[in-house]
Amino acid sequence: MSDALSATPATRIALRRQGLLPRILGAVLLSFIIAALLIALTGHNPLTAFAAMLGGVFGSPYQIGEALNRTSPYLLAGSGVALCFRAGVINIGADGQIAMGGIGAAGVVLLWPGQPGLLSAVAAIIGAALCGAAWAGIATAIHLGRRVHEVLVTLLLNFVALLLVQLALAGPLGQPGAGFLQSRPLPRADWLWRAPHVFFHGGIILGVIAALALSVLLWKTPFGFAIRVTGQSRRAAAYAGFSAAGITWGVMLTAGGLAGIAGGTEVLGLHHRLIEGFSTGFGFKAVTVALLGALEPAAVIPAALFVGLLESGALSMQRQIGVPSALVVVIEGITMLLILAATVRRA
Amino acid sequence: MAALLEMRGIVKCFGAVRANDGIDLDAQAGEIVGLLGENGSGKSTLMKLLFGMMPPDAGGIVFRGRELSDHNPRMAAEAGIAMIHQHFTLVEAMTVAENIMLGWQDAGWRLKRREIADRIRETSRRLGLELDPSARVGDLSLGRRQRIEILKAVLRDAELLILDEPTSNLAPPEVAELLAILRHLRAEGKGIIFITHKLPEVLDVCDRVVVLRAGRVAGFAPVAGADRATLARMMVGRDVPAPQNLSGSGTGATRLSVSGLGGAGIGPMDLTLSGGEILGLAGVDGNGQLELAETLAGLRAATGGSVMLDGRDITHASVSARMTAGLAYIPADRSSTALVRGMTIAANLMLRDSARPPYARRGWLTKRATQTRAAALMQGFDIRAPSPAVPAGRLSGGNQQKIVIARELDRNPGLLIAHQPTWGLDPGATHFVMERMLALRAAGAAVLYISSELEEVLAISDRVAVLAGGAIAGIMPRGGVDMAQLGLWMSGRAA
Ligand SMILES: Nc1ncnc2c1ncn2[C@@H]1O[C@H](COP(=O)(O)OP(=O)(O)OP(=O)(O)O)[C@@H](O)[C@H]1O
Ligand SMILES: [Mg+2]
Repeated sequence: MSDALSATPATRIALRRQGLLPRILGAVLLSFIIAALLIALTGHNPLTAFAAMLGGVFGSPYQIGEALNRTSPYLLAGSGVALCFRAGVINIGADGQIAMGGIGAAGVVLLWPGQPGLLSAVAAIIGAALCGAAWAGIATAIHLGRRVHEVLVTLLLNFVALLLVQLALAGPLGQPGAGFLQSRPLPRADWLWRAPHVFFHGGIILGVIAALALSVLLWKTPFGFAIRVTGQSRRAAAYAGFSAAGITWGVMLTAGGLAGIAGGTEVLGLHHRLIEGFSTGFGFKAVTVALLGALEPAAVIPAALFVGLLESGALSMQRQIGVPSALVVVIEGITMLLILAATVRRA
Repeated sequence: MAALLEMRGIVKCFGAVRANDGIDLDAQAGEIVGLLGENGSGKSTLMKLLFGMMPPDAGGIVFRGRELSDHNPRMAAEAGIAMIHQHFTLVEAMTVAENIMLGWQDAGWRLKRREIADRIRETSRRLGLELDPSARVGDLSLGRRQRIEILKAVLRDAELLILDEPTSNLAPPEVAELLAILRHLRAEGKGIIFITHKLPEVLDVCDRVVVLRAGRVAGFAPVAGADRATLARMMVGRDVPAPQNLSGSGTGATRLSVSGLGGAGIGPMDLTLSGGEILGLAGVDGNGQLELAETLAGLRAATGGSVMLDGRDITHASVSARMTAGLAYIPADRSSTALVRGMTIAANLMLRDSARPPYARRGWLTKRATQTRAAALMQGFDIRAPSPAVPAGRLSGGNQQKIVIARELDRNPGLLIAHQPTWGLDPGATHFVMERMLALRAAGAAVLYISSELEEVLAISDRVAVLAGGAIAGIMPRGGVDMAQLGLWMSGRAA
C-alpha cells in the first residue's frame, strides 16, 4: 500500500533499514522460547505441545477453517479500529458494536422469517452493519455533543450493549427454557456461506475486502488524507479546513459498521444463534491487531491472521495435551507484548 | 590559551545530503561566535552533533582539552555544554525554581527550596535575568522562559552555551534584553555560539562570525569593522539588495472590510484593505496578533461585527469557505499549525488543497500530478530537499517555512494574511518572500502583513497600523511615517 504522498514510504524505508521484519520474527521466536519454558514448568514436553499447536492449526482442512473463522471478527473489527486510531479517535468500543451487530443479524433473521436465502443473508448482514454503526453513532454523538472523552464513552457503551443482548435474549429473540441465555437457532437456510471442504465462513472474505478498501480510502482519497492529517495534528487539520467532527463521524460509523458485520458473521456463520457474551473480549483483540498492523488497514490482515492462528493453535494444545488454559492466555499475552515492543516506532 | 572548543573536519550526511562537509569551528572562553549561513547550510546540524544529539560521520570534537566522542546530550551537559532549544523543555504548571531543580543532581535528594531560591535570585540579579523563583512558568512570556533555560545552564556550570535562533520568537525589547544577558555571560568568561539570521544582532553582540554555506565554512571574520552588506555577501555569496517597494497604488476596489469585529482578546476593530495594497500591522507580539489572524482565517469564532471579503460576508464562514473565497493564511505557528512535520513535503504542500486539482481529480488523490506540482513548487521557492517525499520535519527551519509560503502563494489569493512570514528565513530568502508579496500586490491582491519587526513592516507596507491591547491604535500611510507616533501607539495600551 505505497503512496509517495504519505509519510509511509519514508517510514517504510526507515523501518527496512532498522530491520523491522527480522525484529518481528525475533520477537516471535523469543516468545516461543519463553512459552516453551513455561510449558516445561507445567511438566509437559514443549515439543509435543508445539506439535499439538501446529497440528491444531494446519492439521486438517477443518482446522484451517476454524483458525480462519477465529481471524474473521478480529480482521473486520480491527481494520475499522485502525482507521479510527489513524484519525486520533481512540475507539475501544468494538466489543459493544460487535454485540449490537449480533443482535441486528439475529433480529433480521428471526423476526423477519421466511425470506429467500440470499435476500435474508444480505438483509441480515446489512442489519448487523447498521446496528453496529448506530452503536458507534451513539458514542460519537455523546463524545462530540457532550465533550466526553471517546475512550470513556465507547468503553461504557460496551457494558450497555452486553445488557442489551441479554435483554433481547430474555425477550423477543430468546429461546424459552434453554437453560442459558441464547436465541432460537437460526434456520439452516439463513446460515452464512461456508467454503466447501475448508469450512471457513464468508466473514474472512468480507474482512479482507474491508481491510483492502480501507487501505485504499486512507491512501488514495482526499478523505483519507484528511484522516491522516487529523490524526497527526488537530491544529493543522483545522487550519487545512477539515472538520474534526465530520472526520470523527466518518471513521466511527465505518468502524462501527465493520464491527457490526463482525458480530453478524459470528452469529450467522459460526454460532448460528445469538449467545450471551459472544462478543466479550473481541474489542480488545481488535485494538491489539490494529496496533500489531501498525494502524495500516492492509497490514491488519496478517496481524489478525497471526492472532487468530495463534489462538486456535493454543486452544488445541490445551485440548490435546492439557496445558492449562490460563497458560494459553499468558503465552498469547507475552507474544503480543514482545511483538509490540519490537515494532514500536522510535520517537 | 587553548580553545574552549575545537571541532575539526566534521562531516554528517543524511542520505545524499552532505549537511556538514568537513567543518572546523573553534570557540574561546569569553567570546560570542556568530554562526551564520543560508537556510539548510548545516548550522543546526553542526550544533546537534556538538551536543551529542546524533553522531557525526567523521571529525573530532575537543572540549576543554578533552576529546568528546560517542556522547549524548546528558554527557555533553555534564562536560559543560548547554543548548537552549527553540522549543523549551519546561513544565508550565511548575514554578521557575521547581523547573530548575528538575533533574538537577546538585539539588540533592531533599528539596532545599529556600537555598535554591536564593541561588536563583542571586544569579538572576548578577546576569540581569529578572526571574522570580516562585513565578509559575505558564504565566511567563517566551522571553522569560528562555531566560529560565539560560539560568538552568549557568547554575549547572555550563561553560559553553549554544543558542539556535533564540531571537526568532521574541519581541524586539526582549531581544535587546537577551543580547544584554549574553554580554554578561561573556564577561563571566562563558563561550557562546549564537545562530541567527538577523545581521543587526550579529553586529551588535558577536565578536566574530563563521559563515556556513552548503555544509562548508564559507568564510570567517571578526565583527569589528564588518557591516551588514559584507556579512550578507558572505552568507549568500552575492549582494542582497533591499526590497524595492515602488509604492503600491492601493487604489483598487475594497477587498477586505472589517467592521466592529470582536472576539476573545480583540476588538471591536475596523479595518479596510484595498486590492493592490499591503497593510503592515506592527506592534508588540501578544497584543492580539494571533487572535486577529486566526479570527480572520476562520480558526476562531468572531463574537461580534462583520468581515466582508470581496463583498461576501465571511464573518461566520468555515475555513474552507474562506479559502474558496480567496483567503490565504500564513500562520506564525509553524510547528503544529502550518505544517504536519511527520508528513512529506508534497503532503504539506497540498495540505489545504487536497480535494482540488492538481492534487485530486474525480475524488481520487493524484500521484504523478502531485509530484510534478510539488517538485515545481520546491524549485520555484528554493525548498532544499532531495525529493518531495522527504518528511517536512527533516528540513531545516527556514526550508520548512518556505513550504508554508509556497503553498499559500500558489493559490493566487485575493487576500493574504501573513503572520511573521519571514520567521527563520535567511536574508536571501526573506528578500525573495518580500518580492513575492510585492508581486502579489501588483496582481491586485490585498496583503495583511503582521510582524513584530518594525523594520520589515516599514519596508514593505503601503500603510502601517499598530495593534495594541487587541485594538488598532492607529494607522498612517508609509509616506508620512512618524516614528515617535508609532512608538507611542505601540507602548500606549500594550500589555
Ligand atoms: N534528520 C534529518 N534527516 C535528513 N536530512 C536532514 C536532517 N536534519 C537536517 N537535514 C538536512 O541537512 C541540511 C542542513 O540542515 P540544518 O537544519 O542544519 O540547516 P540550518 O543551517 O540550521 O538551516 P536553517 O537556517 O533553515 O535553520 C538540510 O538540507 C536538511 O534538509
Ligand atoms: Mg536551523
